[in-house]
Amino acid sequence: MKALAWIGGLAWFGVDWARSSLSCRPPAGKTLEEAYRIGVQSLPVLLTISFFVGTNLALQGYNAFVPLGGQRLVGMFVAMAGVRELAPLIAAAMVAAKAGTEMASQIAVMRTREQIDALEVMAVNPYWFLVTPRLYGIILVMPALTLIAVFVTLVSSFLVSVFQLGLNPATFLEFARGSTRMRDIFTGEVKALVFALIICFVSCYCGFVSEKGPEGVGKATNQAVVVSCILCVTFNYLVSQVLYG
Amino acid sequence: MDEAPVSLVNVHKRFGALTVLDGVSFDIPKGQTTAIIGPSGTGKSVLLKHIVGLIRPDEGEVRVFGTNMANAPEKAVYAVRKRLGMLFQDGALFDSLSTGENIEFPLRQHHPELSAAERRDRVDEALEMVELPGLYDRPTPALSGGQRKRVGLARAIITRPELILFDEPNSGLDPMTSDAIDALIGHLKETLHVTFVVITHDIVGTINVADHIAMLYQGKLVAWGTRDEVTHADHPIVRRFLGRNLVLPSPDDPRPAALPRID
Amino acid sequence: MTDLLARIGHFGVFAGRVAWRVVTPPWNFGDFFRHAWIVSLRCLGPVIAVTFPFGMVIGLQGLAIFNMFGAQRLLPSLISVAVLRELSPVLASVLVAAQAGSSYAAELGSMRIKEELDATEIMAVDSLRWHVAPRVAALILACPILNTLGDVAGLAGGYTMSVLIKGEPGGVFMANLWGFTHAEDLLAGLIKTSIFGAIIGLIACYHGFYTTGGAAGVGRAVNDTVVRATLTFFAANYIITSAMFA
Repeated sequence: MKALAWIGGLAWFGVDWARSSLSCRPPAGKTLEEAYRIGVQSLPVLLTISFFVGTNLALQGYNAFVPLGGQRLVGMFVAMAGVRELAPLIAAAMVAAKAGTEMASQIAVMRTREQIDALEVMAVNPYWFLVTPRLYGIILVMPALTLIAVFVTLVSSFLVSVFQLGLNPATFLEFARGSTRMRDIFTGEVKALVFALIICFVSCYCGFVSEKGPEGVGKATNQAVVVSCILCVTFNYLVSQVLYG
Repeated sequence: MDEAPVSLVNVHKRFGALTVLDGVSFDIPKGQTTAIIGPSGTGKSVLLKHIVGLIRPDEGEVRVFGTNMANAPEKAVYAVRKRLGMLFQDGALFDSLSTGENIEFPLRQHHPELSAAERRDRVDEALEMVELPGLYDRPTPALSGGQRKRVGLARAIITRPELILFDEPNSGLDPMTSDAIDALIGHLKETLHVTFVVITHDIVGTINVADHIAMLYQGKLVAWGTRDEVTHADHPIVRRFLGRNLVLPSPDDPRPAALPRID
Repeated sequence: MTDLLARIGHFGVFAGRVAWRVVTPPWNFGDFFRHAWIVSLRCLGPVIAVTFPFGMVIGLQGLAIFNMFGAQRLLPSLISVAVLRELSPVLASVLVAAQAGSSYAAELGSMRIKEELDATEIMAVDSLRWHVAPRVAALILACPILNTLGDVAGLAGGYTMSVLIKGEPGGVFMANLWGFTHAEDLLAGLIKTSIFGAIIGLIACYHGFYTTGGAAGVGRAVNDTVVRATLTFFAANYIITSAMFA
């Protein structure tokens, strides 16, 4: 029941933002600054995690297919699982953990210090001032981050397959290429945009409704990443169902 | 005079490039109340943390009950801490425990010989002393700022320590609550007969409770002596710091050197 | 670079001191059970909410692959391999890091800011033993429990997709479910997740314990915790998986 009320509040927050800020010009400088920050901040984490997702995808794929005598299928398995599902989701999870938590804690700290009230008093719309640049910023960088995650995942699983598991590189590449289409990449980008919207609205909303004080900031940050992850996985299923089902 | 429970010898402490304590030496006399005053950021709280062993000095000695906290092993530090109590700025109560459980915490930890009923009696007695009877079951987040300090104080005195330290007992309180806390400290001073150390920048409260005053300024001890010695000292920084806050008593006025009290 | 090494060394010392207090008495059993219970309860919803749809997606994509070869009956085996060996341990741990790890960092961080940790020390109580050790121990216990529930939810998601939505025969699904998986896989998942639990607990408590700088510092501690805990256990996952299966 509380969860439903919370989701309702989140939806209303999105509508409220759209009503007050969609027609306003975004603050260009701040938007680029946010895009740069979100991108640069999330990149090292994203690279590391995608790398390890790739390595484990190859290991587990290999172990699953060996009993079938289908080692050759590892390339196909990695490409399909990585490109279609895991890389976009992992990119989203890491952006939520890095940039999303930061949005939530920054806005929650502003709430604690009554800076949001101060904005209102100075007749600056806090939605426009705080949400708009973060939203456009994350929308700008998220597709690129997803592409990078796809690439790194494939490279690391290639490395593990060839050097650790001793598979034939040519076969790996042949099967990997044969099982992915442009359409899969495109789907990943669609997912990336959906995830960007989810992460930004959830994180900002958590910050805006946070309680005051250090516990409030901690709780808002915590909530932002958990709710973002749950909603991303759920929407990932919905998008996959629509596009592949 | 008995041996000083706390004695500081040439204490130095720096954090990176910032010198916080620059050769501070003085003895805190036993059974009396010593106030450590000074403007914000002059190392008062850092000095207090040296006394309780949370920070170790770069140089010099911090002797508490004869143990040098500068290089004592963990066990010896804990042995010293069992003999002292401290009131933190905001009480530092555990939010996961109720008011009574907070006060009971040190007893539970260090006095397993006491039965539950005996512990409960001690807690009720302490709540009585800080004038909050019957609050045993109140959750701590529901307490007001003044109540938190009183509960923190009850927790500090529950083990019957020989030395009690107060970190800014008046900060963040309205004048009336602040006066009530001062009155409470004065009352405890008369009933407990132990050594008090009060850190504060609130001069009015200090004058009411202190026997001795130490003034810190930029990490150095600029004045040290009895209350009358320090309040009448000619040191320019002491004058500047006290001047704004204090109506100095004239010799023919018997009132204590403080603003009128609200009772 | 030296800064990073110094931090890792500092963390190592912290981890060692906490580990010693986890294995030696006296233990704070009350807080241990309380934390284990709260973590399990608070992560239960998120773990199920993530592993269930993930199981459905594996069903969806797996069916697409196996349809090409006419090998649909292999699907349940693949689902159970994927869920038991990798997805449930990793997803459950990601959510434990996000939910429990970040709340430990926030709790200890605000205890640091409000001087509760100092107060503990002043009362001559070892704050690592009293506040940190039970939290780390609680995650070592709770993580495998949540992993087991994640296993069940993931398999249920796969069943929902292939049998209830795509109309594969339910009997065939159940008969092939344990084709490639054994009790060792389940055990491996439990061992992996208790190691992940220890990693998450230590990193979270480290960031909370050494929080500085008020409310903003607590936010920063939480933020760093989720990212660094996730990174570390992903790396550990690769090493453990290589050792176990390859």
